[in-house]
Order: sequence, then C-alpha cells, then structure tokens
Amino acid sequence: MSKFTKEMVDSYADKLLIGLTDEENKMVLDEFDVIDKDIDIINTIDGIENIKPMTHALDYQVIENLRDDIPSISPNIDDLLSNAKSKIGREIEVPKVVGETNA
Amino acid sequence: MLNHLSIEELHQKLIKKEITVEDLVNESIKLSKELQDSCNAFDFIIENPKNYGVTDNLLSGIPYGVKANYSTKNILSSGSSNTLKDYVPFFDATAIKKLNDAHAIIVNKTAMDEFGMGGTGTTCRTGTVKNPWDNTRMTAGSSAGSACAVAYGVYPYALGTDTGDSIRKPAAYCGIVGYKPTYGMISRYGVFPFASSLDHCGVLTRNVKDAAIVVDNMKGIDENDMTTWNSSNINLYKSITGEVNNKKLCYIKEICDISNYDNPSDELVSHLNNFKEKIELIRSNGIEVDEVSIDKKLLNTVASVYVVLSCAEATSNMSNLTGIIFGPKGEGEGVFDQIKDHRTKGFSPLIKRRFVIGSYVLQRENQERYFKNAQRVRRLIVDEWDKLFKKYDGVILPVGSGPAKKLDDDSNTLANGTTILEEHLQIGNFGGFPSITIPDGFINNLPVGLNITGKRYDDANVLNIAYKIESLMDYKNQIAERK
Amino acid sequence: MEEKLHVVIGLEMHCELKSNSKVFSTGKNSYSDTANENISPVDMAFPGILPVLNKYSVEEACKMASILHCDITKYMLFDRKHYFYPDLPKGYQITQCTRPVGINGYIEYDLSNEIKRADITDIHLEEDAAALDHMHNTSTIDYNRAGVPLLEVVTEPCFRSAEEAIAFLENMIKIYQYTNISDADTKRGQVRCDVNISLANENNEYVTPRVEVKNVNSLSNIYNTIKYEEKRQKNAYLNHTEELVQETRRYDEESNTTIRMRTKVDAIDYKYFVEPNIPPYEISSDLLDKITKEIPELPLSRKQRYLNEYNLTLEDANTLIKNKEISDYYDECIKLGIDKIQAANWVTVNILGELNKDNSSIKDFYITPIYLKQIIDSINNNTISSKQAKEIFNKSIVDKKEPKEYLKENAQISDESYLRDLINKIVENNLEQKQAYLNGRTNLFDYFVGQVMKETKGKANPNMTKEILNEVLNK
Repeated sequence: MSKFTKEMVDSYADKLLIGLTDEENKMVLDEFDVIDKDIDIINTIDGIENIKPMTHALDYQVIENLRDDIPSISPNIDDLLSNAKSKIGREIEVPKVVGETNA
Repeated sequence: MLNHLSIEELHQKLIKKEITVEDLVNESIKLSKELQDSCNAFDFIIENPKNYGVTDNLLSGIPYGVKANYSTKNILSSGSSNTLKDYVPFFDATAIKKLNDAHAIIVNKTAMDEFGMGGTGTTCRTGTVKNPWDNTRMTAGSSAGSACAVAYGVYPYALGTDTGDSIRKPAAYCGIVGYKPTYGMISRYGVFPFASSLDHCGVLTRNVKDAAIVVDNMKGIDENDMTTWNSSNINLYKSITGEVNNKKLCYIKEICDISNYDNPSDELVSHLNNFKEKIELIRSNGIEVDEVSIDKKLLNTVASVYVVLSCAEATSNMSNLTGIIFGPKGEGEGVFDQIKDHRTKGFSPLIKRRFVIGSYVLQRENQERYFKNAQRVRRLIVDEWDKLFKKYDGVILPVGSGPAKKLDDDSNTLANGTTILEEHLQIGNFGGFPSITIPDGFINNLPVGLNITGKRYDDANVLNIAYKIESLMDYKNQIAERK
Repeated sequence: MEEKLHVVIGLEMHCELKSNSKVFSTGKNSYSDTANENISPVDMAFPGILPVLNKYSVEEACKMASILHCDITKYMLFDRKHYFYPDLPKGYQITQCTRPVGINGYIEYDLSNEIKRADITDIHLEEDAAALDHMHNTSTIDYNRAGVPLLEVVTEPCFRSAEEAIAFLENMIKIYQYTNISDADTKRGQVRCDVNISLANENNEYVTPRVEVKNVNSLSNIYNTIKYEEKRQKNAYLNHTEELVQETRRYDEESNTTIRMRTKVDAIDYKYFVEPNIPPYEISSDLLDKITKEIPELPLSRKQRYLNEYNLTLEDANTLIKNKEISDYYDECIKLGIDKIQAANWVTVNILGELNKDNSSIKDFYITPIYLKQIIDSINNNTISSKQAKEIFNKSIVDKKEPKEYLKENAQISDESYLRDLINKIVENNLEQKQAYLNGRTNLFDYFVGQVMKETKGKANPNMTKEILNEVLNK
C-alpha cells in the first residue's frame, strides 16, 4: 500500500493555499509513488549522506564584491500599484488581517 | 520572404537599405498571425512595435520574439499563466533592456508551458502549441512558441528559458538551434523564475552564429543578479572560426547504445542510427569522438533529482503569486480565502501537482530523504561531467528518443520508464554548463537534433565546435515545411 | 510541600539595522510617513526580481557577531523561510538557518551591579516584513519596511527572571547604539522580541512545556509578558487550572495577557532551503580585522572602569554610560587631565541639566571638554569660586564665547584698597620720578602704570589704576 493518502495530499495543498480536485489529488498520489521509488534508488548510493548538498548552479562561485550600500530612487507610486486591484491612496488594501507577520 | 535570412544577411540588407525595418516588422507580424492560426504559438502579438532605427549593431532593426516569462515594460507578460494573465510590468528584464539598447524589435510574446513547468507546449494559458512541421505533433517545451515561430521563419531568433531542457528540446523537435549559455552569463533579473538554481536564459535560432550574436548582446554582469559573472572578455561571435584542431568530444554509451532500451520503437532506432552516422561524419572531419561509460545507476537518478529539485524551488518561487500586488484578485471573504481562490483558479492542474510534490519534499521530516539527497546526487552527477570535461571539450548526445511526439501522447505526468534519453539534457542545468542543440537529420520527415554540452565558461569553444558540426550537415537555416 | 519553581526564559531579539539601503535590495532604508516611497521592485516581489546582498549589512552583522564572541561563519549563506502572510510579498523571508553569521557566543551584562552572562545560540541576518495598517474592515500594506535589514540574536534559555531578561535587552540596546549598528529605538518598533518561557524546578528540570510569545515590541511589554506567563504557568501547573502545552502565543497590550495563536500540532513547517540566488560570500580575515577595529569600548566595560578605576558612584556611572556621546565626552575630559570626580559632577549635573532643557545633543554642546577644563582649572587654582564658575559656564553658553574670555575679566584686579596700597608703595619707592612728573614730565604717568602692571602681572584694572595713580601722584 502507498504510504501517501488523499488527506495528506489535501493538507499539503491547503498549506500552499491551493485547492485540488479529486482527480488532481489522485494524480499527485500516483506521482508520489513514482518519485518515492526513484528516491529509493538515490538512497542506495553508497556514502550519499557524506556528500555536501549542491545548492547553487555554479557551485564554486564565490562572489568577490557585494553591492555597496547605496539606495536607488523609488519607482513612481502609480507604477508600483498599477497591477494591484484593491488599493487605497498609496497603499494596497486587503481584507482585515489580525496582528503582524505570523512567523 | 525576408525573415528566414540569417542575422548577418538581414543586417547587410538593412545597412545597404535594400530592405527597411518596416518590411521586416510587417512580414513578422503577418507571419505571426498566420502561425497563430495554425499553431497557436503566441501569448500576445504586438501590433505597433517600436522601431529604434538601424545602427552598427547586428541586431538593430531586426524583429524577435520573447518568451512570455520575460518582463517586458508596458507589454503583457503573463508567463503563460492565468495568475498573471493581465500583468503588465513597469520594468524590463535585464536581457530585454540590453536587446532594446541594441535596437532589436520585440514583435510578440511567445506561448510556453505555464511558468516553464512542462515539457510539452500543451499547458500554455493560450492553449496547445503545435509543431510547424506537423500540426499533429508537439513542439515540446517549455519554450514552445519560441521554437515554433523561429522554425516557421517569423524572425531569426526568439528568447527562451531553460530549466531542464526547455530551449534545447523544442529546438530539436522544430529543427532549429537552441543554446543555453553557462549559468549566470545572462542575467535572470526580470525573468519569472521556475527553479532558480536550474534556470537559464538562452536563445532559439536557425544557425549557430546567430545564437552567438544574440547571446553576445544579452550577456553580462548585472548588478541586479548576484549569480552573473563578468564575461566581457568573451565574444562568442568573433570566436567562431570553424577551426577545430585537437578538439575532442565524447558520447555516453549508456545513453546512445540501442542495447540499453527494451523494445525500441522504429523512431528510436532511426534516431540513434542517425546519431552514430553523424558521429562518424564528425570524426572524419577532424574532431576526435570517444565513447565513454557512466554508471547507469547514476544516470537513472537524473529524472528524479530534477523533479525533486525543480518542484521544490518552484513551489517556493511561485509563493509571490497571491493576486494582491499583481494578477487577478481572488474572491472570498478573508485575505487567505482570496489568495487560495487566486491560486486555485490561476494555476493549471499540472503546476498544482508539482507544487504539492515540491512542498512535500521540503517538509522538515522529508528534506533529508528527498530534497537534500537530490542535491547530493546533483553534485555526484556534476562531478562526473566535470571529470569528462577535464579530457573532452564537450559531451555530444542525441536529443530525446526520436522526433516530436504526437499531441495525443501526453507525457507530462511523471511516468515510469522515462528513459535517460529524454532526461539527460537536465544535467546541463545541474552543472550550469553551456549547452547547444543543433538539428542533425530527419525521421519520418520530422527534424531531430543532437546536443553538445561543454564546461562552464567555455561557451566560445562549445559554439565553435557546434558551428563546425553544423557546417558538415545540410540543416542550417532550415524553415519548417508543413507536411 | 510546595515545589519551588522558577521561570526560564530564552529570547529571540530582532533589531532593525541602520543602513542606507535595504539588505537585499537598493530600496532606501528609512522610516517614512509616506507609504511606499522607499521601494525597489524587489521589496514588493514583482515577478523575476532577485535579491542583491548589501555589503554594509553583512559587515555590521559580523561586527555584532564578533561583539557577542561568536564563531563567525567563513561564508555568508542565506535560506528561505516560507509562510504566507500579506506582509510577506515573496511568500518567504530570506534569513539564515543553515549557516548563521555567528554561533556559540556569549555576552556579559549587569543587573544591579552584578555581572551576568547570557549564552548566545546564534545571530543571523534577515529581512523585515512590510507594515500592515489596520482600518475598520480592511488592512493596508506599506512596503517601506519590507527588506529592512534585521539582526536576530537567539539566546539560550539562560534567564531566570524577567529582570534578567530586561537587563540583558537593555545592555544589548546600548551595544547597538554604541556601535551605531542600530538606533535600537524601541518606541519606533526597531526592537522586537520572541520570548520563550517555561518553568523549572529546583533541580533545573523543566516542568512546563515551552511557550513562545511572538513579536513583543517594548521592554515594558516584554517584562509584562514574562510576568504574566510566569503567573499563568505556575497557576496552571500547581492548581491544574488549565492544561499546559507547547504553543505559540501573542501578547495583548490592552488586557495585559497572552493569547494563544497556535499549538505545536499546528506549528508551521517553514520548509527552509538555501537561497540559490545568493552565491556564498567569503568573510575574509582582513574584513574581520577591519570590522573589529571599528568596535568602540562597550558600555559595560566603561561602567566597570568608572566604578572600579575612577571610583565614581553607581548613579554617576550609570548616567554617564546611558549614551555613547556623553560617555565619550566624559572620557575626553579625563584624557585632558580633568579630575575624574569633578568631571563626573560637571557632566552629570551641569551639562546634562543644560542638555535636558531642550533635549539637545552633547555633540552640539558649546562647552567642549577643553572649555570645561578652562573653568575647572580656574576653580582649582583658586582664581574663581565655584559660584563664579557656574556663572561663567552659563555666560559662555549664552554668549557663545570661550570661558577663557570671562576668566580673563574675572582675574582682573579691581580691588580698590589692594590697588591703592600697591600704588602707594610704588610711588613711595619712586619719589624722584614723582617729582619729575609733578615738574611737568607728564609722560612719566605711563611709567607708573607700567610699574603697577608689572607688579600685578598685567591683571590690574587699568581704569582703576589710572584713577588711583592720578589721585596719589597729585596729592
């Protein structure tokens, strides 16, 4: 039996703020099984745990110089808000949220 | 017909005033509309493109196409997604700014698999892109519209992006050249990300020299992209000499040998035979080509490493799509209801599935087994290729398992039995290697291609070898003739 | 038997850094009342934007890590921390998890003149979120703050009382200010803390699960949070009034209580991974050398010096270190050779009294340490009285004139009887000249003035001298 369930998939999707149809959910479940099998191959590679994960495409790229601390001119407010659908004055508006950032 | 000429030829005609920019633009728009009707290649066609005049720059006054995931100032930039179906940026991607400076002319935004996440050209916001050589076939993707339009002769080049093979595979299926330079050679600033550590900008053209000319104009260190590097000492166009003395290539037995595949299709057999013939041709023209062996087990991990890494990075990169600052606003009472509605309606099923996978492999309890192990194997694979590049100027391999697939054969699901032939181009993204696909023949009247991948920063060498090989065959500058 | 319980506190202190531009964008780092005017497209996460790391922020982060005695990373590396919230436009915050700028550090602080040590788990550089303004039915988003550099200092659970936690924070705030890494202005929300609180018994065994109170934003609120949680947890533990669980809460200022946000079951999985768009940046030993050279003597060390070497009172020492400019001023006085106690008195009483009148800065204060020395020297060689000194101090500020000028005036001998005695003596000793003068050599008058000046080293009041001379000579 698969170690993945419909409920798990729905919960993952929900945390990403996306809804899945039953059909989509089923497809994810099938794909999970495929990936899981493929990952099994990876996990059989000897000494895999001792290899440093490769996180960047140019792995040995070390930057010489960082950006100097110089501010740029802020874009025009009309440009900044031109694609937003709900705004008040110079700000974007959303339905009321409680509190600050939730992290 | 003008737009089927090479960039050098068009430039000469413009300079000599044998043709005008308007001629080129008008023809390009006319062909765009024609191709839109037959193949659905575009996300957006620009009615009155700006003409900045003709200068010494080879690209000045010449029309080109831009993949829908590049930010173009005041021009719809949708990424072929309904989450950005009305997004009009107020700034240009760095690559676009550079081409504007070259006085190149954007005539359309090309259709693509939504945000580049798909290899078929069938998941575009605007529908399925069809192969201009055969409308019952795919172009492959995700730079589907760009490949289709360049093959059709709408313009000499179009921009693409490549996260797994998204430039180099559709190029092969459309019988043209697809080139993805070393990671960081072209700035990604303003290009919608799919998987940042794998994403590359690049170009689709009908000959190698054109690819060199375009990338020369797009590349350069960018203060807005920390992964860019200084390539001012590289001039790809001028490096193309066709001189290939002492150049060495290799191909991988475990990928190219027909014996690796059970019950091979006729198309696969023809494709590999054709490749072997071309290897002989290359050998007989002064380039040494060796057969090398790579651990099959490692090769078999390529696809899953790619899926795990690309899905993980994608789900992160697309977390900014909420409908708050840009894109259509979702419906619902609370802000999270609105975001969920925006994302549920805006993303295609394929993308949603990949997000869930990406999110799963990143979860705290799963990270080691999936994400970090995939990153570790990525290193192992890249190390293998780096070893090859100590000895060889490039790895030469056939692209895909034959010509373009039938449209009714949708292989976007992650299915068992995916062959390494279909996936090996992703290695070029793992290592950020320069990689170019050129057409190398026809099977059932459909084009097929081969790919040359070289070591990082060695783009000039890779292009020069590709140029030489291109010149040994008859597929340079070909235009799709619909069968 | 009643169990003896004590509270155990760990802090995650976030502090906004000073810089010209934001940490990952060229947006201006500056508070503004006008919404969305310090923006780069990066701050609003427009599609295709990329982070570009600010060198200055990196250096300041390393500086703080060095002050906290941390092991400093060889390479700067960043991670993405994912969660959805309207104030987080990218859907993730760029922070450091895999490789924080500094780990395994400590810092000493003092509480009621007792030196304590806080252990630092790590210090990392990250970006701030946008600011939400709440209206009746809606909230509005101002991205000016999005991307402002933040330093987060994470301590071990090493505080045993609210007082310790607050003393640590006060000390940290002073360090930020002394180093100019941050204004650390709690009133402007530049310092915010996550407070982890649980109870332990006499054997230092935890008896309650850890409660994290998020985003508390002033020292008094942090104090109240700890006090409230201590009471709540003790009550719950001892009287079984409620079940205690590992959870995240928030402080509610109005009710002065904490309120549950989520329990461990609903804990967010932030799905951290290394930010691929920022290649590693090497922290070279040259860079570290340069940075450590920029660190001034820190407040605690100054305070120890004032108390133990200078024998100042605790009150004076505390007053002097309250801010770096004042402490620097005081140290400058000492360098000029002013007596330590005298200097402390003058700075804490007269100078601060003067500055407090209009909240002005000592940097702009007219009486520099050199001027102050002129006044104090005059007191010490008995040329002026303390009362006169205070008058000169005041006059000097009002007239913007060097105290020396008034001291000259002050030192003039205008004592009539003294001058008369002196002049009588001089005239008696110079009778020949007196006669000659009376016979018509009037220019000899100046000769007598000269003699008076010679005797008084030029300090005799010239008008008075002439008057008296006239009288005496013509008698």
